[in-house]
Amino acid sequence: MEKNLTHIALFAALIAVLGLVPKIELLSGVPITAQSMGVMLCGTVLGARRGALAVLLFLVLVAVGLPLLAGGRGGLGVFASPSVGFLIGFPVAAFVAGFIVERWTAPVGIAAFAGAVLGGIVVLYAFGIPGMAFMLDKSLAEATALSTPFFPGDLIKAGLTALVTRAIAQMRPGALLSRG
Amino acid sequence: MAAGKQTGIELIGAGYAVAGKVILSGLDLTLTESRIGIVGRNGSGKTSLLRLIAGLVAPSTGQVRVAGLTPSKDRRGMLAALGILFQNPDHQILFPTVGEELAFGLRQIGQTEAEARHAARILLASEGRAHWEDAATHTLSQGQRHYLCLLSVLLMQPQTILLDEPFAGLDLPTQARLARRLAALPQRTLTISHDPAAVAGCDRVIWIEAGRVHADGAAAEVLARFAAEMARLGDQDADTHLAG
Amino acid sequence: MLTLTSPVKTWAHRLPAWGKLLALCAYTVLLFALQAPLAMAVAALLPAALIASCGGSFAITSLRMLRPLWPFVAVVVLWHLWLGDSAGGAVVILRMLAAVLAANFVTMTTQLSQMIALIEWLARPLAPILSPRALALAIALVIRFIPVMLARTEAIAQAWRARSPRKPGWRILLPTTLAALDDADRVAEALRARGGAG
Repeated sequence: MEKNLTHIALFAALIAVLGLVPKIELLSGVPITAQSMGVMLCGTVLGARRGALAVLLFLVLVAVGLPLLAGGRGGLGVFASPSVGFLIGFPVAAFVAGFIVERWTAPVGIAAFAGAVLGGIVVLYAFGIPGMAFMLDKSLAEATALSTPFFPGDLIKAGLTALVTRAIAQMRPGALLSRG
Repeated sequence: MAAGKQTGIELIGAGYAVAGKVILSGLDLTLTESRIGIVGRNGSGKTSLLRLIAGLVAPSTGQVRVAGLTPSKDRRGMLAALGILFQNPDHQILFPTVGEELAFGLRQIGQTEAEARHAARILLASEGRAHWEDAATHTLSQGQRHYLCLLSVLLMQPQTILLDEPFAGLDLPTQARLARRLAALPQRTLTISHDPAAVAGCDRVIWIEAGRVHADGAAAEVLARFAAEMARLGDQDADTHLAG
Repeated sequence: MLTLTSPVKTWAHRLPAWGKLLALCAYTVLLFALQAPLAMAVAALLPAALIASCGGSFAITSLRMLRPLWPFVAVVVLWHLWLGDSAGGAVVILRMLAAVLAANFVTMTTQLSQMIALIEWLARPLAPILSPRALALAIALVIRFIPVMLARTEAIAQAWRARSPRKPGWRILLPTTLAALDDADRVAEALRARGGAG
């Protein structure tokens, strides 16, 4: 169906755009890259299947040589770097986030936050940390230690994802495909 | 290009409703003239009428027929019967380069990539724009993008072309060029607009108001009444009624 | 759309994409099988030699693409210096750089259209659930709409700046996402109007 195709394609484009815009500043003045929020939004807005496909499509385009990752990175090289685990985990994270929003009947903002945390943090790091451990010849505990500074920022991103998802649910109820 | 009954557009008792809200009702029209105009205020239902005729939505009641086909069902068949020029080219252009964009429609009707590209090249050359083939679509100016959309439609050689507010937002020279081009087209054109000037040259004008046919006949007469009513409404205060 | 393919035409540009990709996979497997620092250093010479054979500006671009790795290099260097295991650290760093250089070499010497064709070929077994036309269309749509959405996000940011002294923050996420949803609906319609994606 055309609607599935266009939603998947345009949200893949959204992830790219969120990597290309200048870093968003939080209230405290700390810059964060918005791209991982794009990944979580794919899940919470489009649902598990479409969200994962959108992220996969994005990764395909990165792999074929487009500089779409934050910082203008792209090409096959990013899949050979220590952060490859996170890249592989992105579509799974979107799937889990979407799955929770689709299946859990809690208010959409809460479900989206839970989805973003479980998908965008727990599941994502479940892929990212072993990937990094393997690439850097470190133990899982050591790799986890290297990643901990990023948790607070990711928690905030999960919160923002939930806010945006809830706002969309209020403004365009029909557009939230995850709660179609 | 035959403009007879067999390629015509028919609406038989057609109506369209969304989520319980009636948008169009009681449409009984047979459209066979060469130049047809549809006028109405914003929100009158005229864009939904275009969608109905184009088969982008199915009627809730009654029937819609284009060249004997059911538009909402026979999407492939409709490609030869109907072409649509949407209001905003950015919502219409699908491909990153001009050549791909033009070739797409022909591939949809079964031509090979090579055949489609060849036909696109010939069309561009005949328009003096052979160098456009590899241009990135997002680098074209707004007028050029409109033009590209029109070329994409013309390449399909449909029997009828639907035009949704074709002059909206265009500067005067571009409007004049487009109007000249549209007037010269051999196929039937159906123009939707809120501006009487856009349809003044039509053989037949239909005025849609609140989802129903309010007036239907020769351009001069219908547009005079339309303009008078619009002026009268404009003299009153803005509508404060909230839909929610 | 700007790609990472090098505009400098090299001998490697003429090689078939699938061949380069296969060689890359084999090389990467080899890299991760090696353990001794000396063997790793020798293996790392391969991408270095390939890049050097392509000229100065090519080499500079290749090296520049290594920049995002510096935090990892720094961490490994510090870590292994602290532990007194320079050899282990050298192995990790050489392997990382060699793998990334080799992978980027393939990216820089392969045209976008060739890579897309390769992806579509690889996706053929999926034809029952993913039609090749739908995949091709999806890829084209993403490439087509990134500049459009980027321009619109900039317009949204400008609208913000016209009304607020602060820099645009997370709040522009909402209109940007809404715009993506609206675009998706309209493009679906345009697609249906032109025969659909079927």
